[in-house]
Amino acid sequence: MTNKDNEPQESARVKSRRRVNERLRDAISKETSGDLKDVEIPPKKLDWMKRTYQWGVKADLTDSGLTIGALNVGIYGEIPDRWDDQSRMPRGAYPMPGVPPIGYSISEKRDLWADNAADLYEEAIQRRWTPATDIPWESVAPLSDDVEAAVCQLCTMLCQHANTEIETLGAWLHQMSYGYHEVKLFLASEMFDAARHFEVFRKRALSNGGGLGIELKGDVKRMIIESRGGWSETALLLYLLRGLFTFTIYRYGSILANNDAERAIFEKSVQDKARHLSYGLEHLRYAITRQDDKHLVFNNLLGIGERLVARECRDPIVLEPLAVIFGGGVKGAQSGIKTTQRLMSDYVNLYLSSLKTIGIDRSDSLSDDLKSYLA
Amino acid sequence: MTISKEELDLAPAVREFGEDNNLDLSWLDTRGEWGVKAEPSKRGLTLGDIQLGSYGEPGDHSDNMTGRPRGAKARNDAYRVGGYKIRSKADIWLSNAHVLYEESLQRQWSSATDVPWETIKPLPDDIERAQCQLATFLTEVEFVAAEVPGRWLASTTPDYFEPRMFLISQVMDESRHLDVFRKRAFANGGGLMQRPNVTTSGTVGSIDLSNDFTEMSSRLHITGEGSVLTIFRMGELMAYNEAEKTIYRLAAQDEARHVAFGVMHLRYLAETEPERKEEIHCYLDEGEGALVAGNQNPASRDTAQSEALAILLGGGEKNFDEGYRKLMAIRKRQAREYVQRVRSAGFGERFENGRANQELLAYTR
Repeated sequence: MTNKDNEPQESARVKSRRRVNERLRDAISKETSGDLKDVEIPPKKLDWMKRTYQWGVKADLTDSGLTIGALNVGIYGEIPDRWDDQSRMPRGAYPMPGVPPIGYSISEKRDLWADNAADLYEEAIQRRWTPATDIPWESVAPLSDDVEAAVCQLCTMLCQHANTEIETLGAWLHQMSYGYHEVKLFLASEMFDAARHFEVFRKRALSNGGGLGIELKGDVKRMIIESRGGWSETALLLYLLRGLFTFTIYRYGSILANNDAERAIFEKSVQDKARHLSYGLEHLRYAITRQDDKHLVFNNLLGIGERLVARECRDPIVLEPLAVIFGGGVKGAQSGIKTTQRLMSDYVNLYLSSLKTIGIDRSDSLSDDLKSYLA
Repeated sequence: MTISKEELDLAPAVREFGEDNNLDLSWLDTRGEWGVKAEPSKRGLTLGDIQLGSYGEPGDHSDNMTGRPRGAKARNDAYRVGGYKIRSKADIWLSNAHVLYEESLQRQWSSATDVPWETIKPLPDDIERAQCQLATFLTEVEFVAAEVPGRWLASTTPDYFEPRMFLISQVMDESRHLDVFRKRAFANGGGLMQRPNVTTSGTVGSIDLSNDFTEMSSRLHITGEGSVLTIFRMGELMAYNEAEKTIYRLAAQDEARHVAFGVMHLRYLAETEPERKEEIHCYLDEGEGALVAGNQNPASRDTAQSEALAILLGGGEKNFDEGYRKLMAIRKRQAREYVQRVRSAGFGERFENGRANQELLAYTR
């Protein structure tokens, strides 16, 4: 994908750029031969020229271009289990003594790592989209009042889901050590995705004669935001409990959508969300396999978290709008409830199967609240 | 489609239907402003297009502590979980954050596929080492500008989401800068070199340690990114192939947006809270000191990165002196561009009243 602004009139742009560069060269040359002709030039040190841990490295271009994963060659591909440097020294750079620490609190690889982070980061960039121009907004047509209100209420909730993701990642990203830059890069892309989701659902709510609905009480957000034990614990709640729920709603987008715009919104959002979950699950699997009691900690947190998710879902603003949209209006809500029930059942099943992939089996200990959606 | 207030009230039939089927449905008439229809403009449906009615520009102060989207209906039982520190508009606002955010979305690029890496051919050892030294420096400092703004996202009320969205786009841009300069270091038989031999963070007056957003922005966007922007704009003079030219050009495009954010925010603050100007001048005093002394300025004297730049600009170690003179010409440009930005932000008086750093001003002459 290329820069959209650069596509048309490429040759005119190239010509203009050449002219600007010629002027720049002339101006610099004039200055160096004028005022700066007799500038005092300090003696060269050049001691840095030999300061490298490994020289002669050449990363290979892949079918996907020069990717961040392709750079992990030689010593630069050695990713230590612990990163003690407290500064922003790039992994593999030649250190210099005396640099004040910044204070990164996450220094263990097991506390943030996922082998797929580098690839997911590149994928996020390749699959970028723009709500302003990549959604066929002209296809949004008037809906009955009850359906429009339900869509707007759903959008309000999904804005809040995205906002929670932004605030959570914003609070953790700067605590992660620089040595694991692949994860930091990926999480930056996830935050950017979340901003786009916040944006696109707000745009949808304000584009068809409706408006935003009522806010969530915040049971699940509170649980995620106030989770301070570690990034893994927060990730467990963010990705497995909330993320899979959001993902399931997006996946039902083809049934929820009333027009091509909404269909496009859900299709693009689900693609992003799948990437976020892919990192989340891979990291949680990594964390569990490297710490003996992590699965017990996770089980405890999930037991409480499941009840909070169920409590939030009992709030009429969470599932009723879905039922109204599925049913094509309030009058059809009764049949819409059946589809909503199926959505929730899919969510809980996906939750259980995702847990199994990271080594946790909660099929016997699932909270009664969530179990009831499987009936 | 515009719906009147009366029409919004639950019709008795709907209420009865809900009761018969165990549905609450009260949310149907409990909501924010209704009847809003934003129309796409020539650039699609932008954030500017949806700033309508109560969903438009926010108030000077925000009491939103729950994280509700601006304009959504508040509820009394919502948890005050936000803990937002920035709830005064002047602390973070600028008039065009939504425009800059939309532009950033349109101008995203991929370092993997939008840079013609195949144009990089083997270079003389001194040139390759200089490129790698500069790339090592930029890999480190560019992500400062990703980590630091990110820290403010969770502490800013979503009522001021436009600047917050812009900052997220900046985090993404700077991530790409980290990745593209790391890629350059490994693209041509080189490697990473010495990390900066000057302190970039962790001391009072550095970008990391600001407790006030505007203090941070004055250092990050105005002095820090401003000086890097000038270097990127000179990419043509220090690039040895199309790949490097492309990197500098695309990075400069991003950086210009970030600098514009800082200038416009300072301008907003100067106009709305002129009583804070004296305080902001103190931050600028510190920033100018850092510009002259070095730290995050790649064109500062006597550092590994300034020597690397002199080699690149001169065309090799043998032309170091010529390269150094070009570097000084760039430094003069940096200083002039800085003065222009600060004037544009509404703080130009410091250049008339003798407050500005005299060593810095000497470069502008």
